[in-house]
Amino acid sequence: MNREIKNIAVLEPSQIVFEGLSNVLSKSGQQFHLLRTDDLNEIQNLAALGKLELAIINPSQIQNKNKEFLSAKKNHPGIVWIALIYNFFDQQLLSLFDKVINITDSGESIAEQIKNLSNSEIHNNDVEHEQLSEREIDVLKLIVKGFSNKEVADNLNISIHTVISHRKNISQKTGIKSQSGLTIYAISNKIILIEDFAK
Amino acid sequence: MYQTKGNFIRPEMKISSLIFENPSLLLLMEHLEMDFIVHEKTVKQLCATNNISEELFLIFANLYNGFQPTEHQNLTREDLTTIIKFLKNSHNYYENEKYPEIRSYFEQLHEQNNSAEIQLIEKFFDEYFKEVKEHLHYENRVAFPYFYRLLKNEPSGNTEKQEKYSVSEYQEHHTDIEFKLNDLKELLLKHVPVKNDRVLRRKIITSLCELENDLNIHSTIEETILIPLVSKIEHDE
Repeated sequence: MNREIKNIAVLEPSQIVFEGLSNVLSKSGQQFHLLRTDDLNEIQNLAALGKLELAIINPSQIQNKNKEFLSAKKNHPGIVWIALIYNFFDQQLLSLFDKVINITDSGESIAEQIKNLSNSEIHNNDVEHEQLSEREIDVLKLIVKGFSNKEVADNLNISIHTVISHRKNISQKTGIKSQSGLTIYAISNKIILIEDFAK
Repeated sequence: MYQTKGNFIRPEMKISSLIFENPSLLLLMEHLEMDFIVHEKTVKQLCATNNISEELFLIFANLYNGFQPTEHQNLTREDLTTIIKFLKNSHNYYENEKYPEIRSYFEQLHEQNNSAEIQLIEKFFDEYFKEVKEHLHYENRVAFPYFYRLLKNEPSGNTEKQEKYSVSEYQEHHTDIEFKLNDLKELLLKHVPVKNDRVLRRKIITSLCELENDLNIHSTIEETILIPLVSKIEHDE
């Protein structure tokens, strides 16, 4: 479940600290991919490519660049901004971050905090898979028949957005993403009969 | 078994102990065409005998031991040749060893459990395999020749109409392949009813996990080592 690799941009001038962080995170059980950056611009470039979830920053690197930092935060609301501190910083500066992590914390605690911040979806995934709701079963039956999102929406009198959200929930609950996979799921769980599945 | 939490490998460590700790390092050595009789050699000596850069070998081996590569790599053009050799050999391993192995398990499974679900799973696997093959062939046909041309300093815009290599196409394939493999595992482990097929099912799931682990390493190498190196070389031109 935790297979998915999380990308983290790190803005930290000390190589030792960077390597240490990378080492601590590699033992956390969650796979992280650390991208070392030289400035805020580079983080923004990475963020623009998508897939960036966290940015860990030594606050000294954004001192006197508050404006720039705030605009980066605004442009990329999906990213969690973390300050990694090992000396004193002005409270006002630290308050710009979503979270402050102190380098004197134990390795496990740092890894745990970062893991918890990295994506709450993972935790949802770990929750016991619930049964599909009746509506989700309706949607599933049509997907299996090869209906497009639009056709499912028309058929059930709901919006395409709702269909997409049902599909997302179905994949999350069953752990299965492809259409052929869902078909086999539906047959195994007697949601549809094999006879109904022409071909 | 495969996904180990092995030691972080350093040059002075003895390769034989590392292999006993994580036998999938043998697969790495096979992909790199290294000799398996390692005597009492350290990693450093092994690399020297086989003429492979220590830095690259350490990145690869640590990946097999569960450590993601860090950002700053000092890899060179010579390393690119080694990386392509590794990737080519691993393609060969998927296509001519791993997939036929799983395919043959499915055939046996089919004899023991002839339910409709198993037939569909088999079909699903075949379709999945077809997609994987297309991707492997795409790399063999488009990506690798492009990298070789780059190494030989040939201009990329050649006279012949070569298919353009694209990083995004590369990554899209990868995601799709990962999804389907995961679906197969999920279905076999959680949903499709068992009918006297425990042994075969264990073999299939185990092989799928081995394959998945190697494919994950494969795409990490392509995405975080190969592609940055290629763009560095492109940039230096």
